[in-house]
Amino acid sequence: MNTKLKVSEISKIYPGCVANDKVSLEFGSGKIYALLGENGAGKSTLVKILSGVVKPDEGQVFLNNESIKLNSPLDAKKNNIGMVFQHFNLFETLSVFENLSIDSDKKNEDLRVLVNDILKKYKFKIELDIPVLNLSAGQKQKVEIIRCLIRNPKVLIMDEPTSVLTEQETDDLFISLKQFSKDGILIIYITHKLKEVLSLCDEVAVMRKGKVVSVSNTNNEKIESLANKMVGENLNTIKKKINNFKNSEEILKISNLNFKSDDPYETNLNNLNFSLKKGECLGIAGISGNGQNELFQILSGEIITEGTSIMFRNKEIGKLNPRERREYLMAFSPEDRISQAAVPELKIYENVALNNFKSSNFFEKGLVNEKKIKEHSKKILSNFSVNTDNVELKSQFLSGGNLQKLIIGRELITSPELLVCFNPTWGLDVGAINYIHETLIQINEEGKSSILISTDNDELLKLSDRICVIYKGKLSKIMNADTVTAEKLGILMGGGSID
Amino acid sequence: MSFDLNFIGILIGAIMASSVPLILAASGELITERSGVLNLGVEGMMIIGAISGFALMVVTDNLFFAVIGSMVSGLILSLIFGLLTQSLLTNHVATGLALTIFGIGMSAMIGKNFVGIPGKEFPLLFLNLKESIPFLGPIFFGHSIILYFAFGLPFLTNYFLKKTKTGLIIRAVGDSPTSASNQGINVTLVRYSCILYGGAMCGLAGAYLSLIYTPQWIENMTGGRGWIALALVVFATWSPIKVLIGALIFGGITILQLHMQAVGLRIPVQLLSALPYIMTIIVLVVISRDSRKIKLNTPTSLGQIFYKEK
Repeated sequence: MNTKLKVSEISKIYPGCVANDKVSLEFGSGKIYALLGENGAGKSTLVKILSGVVKPDEGQVFLNNESIKLNSPLDAKKNNIGMVFQHFNLFETLSVFENLSIDSDKKNEDLRVLVNDILKKYKFKIELDIPVLNLSAGQKQKVEIIRCLIRNPKVLIMDEPTSVLTEQETDDLFISLKQFSKDGILIIYITHKLKEVLSLCDEVAVMRKGKVVSVSNTNNEKIESLANKMVGENLNTIKKKINNFKNSEEILKISNLNFKSDDPYETNLNNLNFSLKKGECLGIAGISGNGQNELFQILSGEIITEGTSIMFRNKEIGKLNPRERREYLMAFSPEDRISQAAVPELKIYENVALNNFKSSNFFEKGLVNEKKIKEHSKKILSNFSVNTDNVELKSQFLSGGNLQKLIIGRELITSPELLVCFNPTWGLDVGAINYIHETLIQINEEGKSSILISTDNDELLKLSDRICVIYKGKLSKIMNADTVTAEKLGILMGGGSID
Repeated sequence: MSFDLNFIGILIGAIMASSVPLILAASGELITERSGVLNLGVEGMMIIGAISGFALMVVTDNLFFAVIGSMVSGLILSLIFGLLTQSLLTNHVATGLALTIFGIGMSAMIGKNFVGIPGKEFPLLFLNLKESIPFLGPIFFGHSIILYFAFGLPFLTNYFLKKTKTGLIIRAVGDSPTSASNQGINVTLVRYSCILYGGAMCGLAGAYLSLIYTPQWIENMTGGRGWIALALVVFATWSPIKVLIGALIFGGITILQLHMQAVGLRIPVQLLSALPYIMTIIVLVVISRDSRKIKLNTPTSLGQIFYKEK
């Protein structure tokens, strides 16, 4: 069975942004296609159009040379186009089987037989009658894939599927995808990870600013060539100097740190111990949901713990709140830029004022000193090359990269001794990632310390001096970064052990 | 001895009758909330149901029309809520509060001409059995058809939510409207339907008050029962069976404390009057303290406005 999918002259314009500009592409079954591009390049809009979630302003989609209308997700389903979204479209409180049965017309008994066949065929191991919120990210993704497979898809679209997976889970996914491709399913794989394009896909289309800039066979491409096409300029690679911290002063010591939660969505932390020296970067790897959130909140003071379990510059700070910790020159950059780090409805200078209220003189006798805050904000915008000089702009209009620069800038401009950041480059494009990475290396070179909690192994290996892995609320032993490989991290992240 | 037992039977029957409006309104609101919509207009829809039921009874002299009319009026009021929150995307809480205020005022205005008019006798079923069987007779027989319906409703609701496809879709929409929409479910339609059903049930609860429980029109006769129903849904952690238990406890203690007041116990009246509220909350909190189950039953998107991507 041969499937041909063609998109022709697709355009989609949002206010102030051309998401897709006359995009034309052709796909045929038997191959795995990569759709590569930075954030905001228009990949997601294109796949949302293909899955019927968003309607294009212009252009047509052809399946096997017939024009098809995709006005709703139901239309996509009817045309056997399956889609696995980056942010899972699952119902967390429903059971796995309920999630599968909700959009199937089959009788429950028949569906169960079919699902069990699929589980057997592709060697998936998932319990069907537990709530989805108990599954790991990799398992949730499998549920999404099974939901597509039930409908015998001709086309399967995967949107950034590996952002939540371990190395092992990624390998498993690639094996499955190759098998689907062999079974005649046309696969479109959306990503901004260059390595994956080369190891998995046969052809690659690169998108930039809403346009397709290149279509080529992956055999003819290298990581550098793809990166340059994607960004549209030559990127300089950054490297970190390896340091020896034997004689440095210890700045932070965590001892016997425990955290117990009654909330089934949270992870308990179990007896964490580590220390950090001046100028050092400690990387903490792990699959999301293994206690990173809780650890970040404990370090930042959102969750208060025993005084003695956190010693910062020889002071007990476990009981202090985030503001008090900032006065001891700690700084924090949370994972969720929109809801934790900044208030999107507030203007840039108002967001800047939010975490500086005692050490600075932004507030005098209870009044806001707007002039001072604005001057200070302008300095951040220029020092950290945020792409605007308008401090009156509402923060929600900044792109992810610029917002992250603003947040990091806001934290660093007070010259803190320790910066704790959690997935600082999550969802950013290559240019912004590069900038953030350079900044993080720079603060280490200035003798300031940092803790980098991240789910991106490449980032951890690039920036950390020492690395450990968090798994189910426990830390692995701490290793020197030069002895660590991505494979080692992958094993530890999946709960295995290495020696 | 047999007299005492029969008296207890009558007492239980009275308790059941007093909990009917709570069961009806809370079961309706439970479906609404399970779809992710928080309608705080329960009290308003109940009182509108009460006055329109009573007024229709007076005007048409037909109890069937009166009951149906009360449900339709509750439904119309909830339709206004639906239009505002689902189509015009207004805030659920503010809109619901406005609905209650509107309902109370509107009912008082319509009701002016109906004050002091005596109600009509509502047919009670199995009256002969009620009298011939001691103890069990007054418990199980001699009630209106609406009471039997109300006591079946939580079980039906439970079955509907857990075992049917439509129930599954409602729970899915309450869990994540965005995911549901991406799966091709018409979130707005599902939510509208749940809102309208909730409105009709609140209307019926009001009719029970003005046609059966105290067959007359008194201004503000719902007396906060709508708010109790709302609280029951939350404290019962969105479980229909627990709503039934909660409503019975509330009704039970209301009746019992009235008897205690009549007997003249030396407990302050205010404390006795507060007892049903306190006890219902305590019991429901105790029976629903499994935080895992709460997570699974709570409609995650409750009160959130849903925008569809275009």
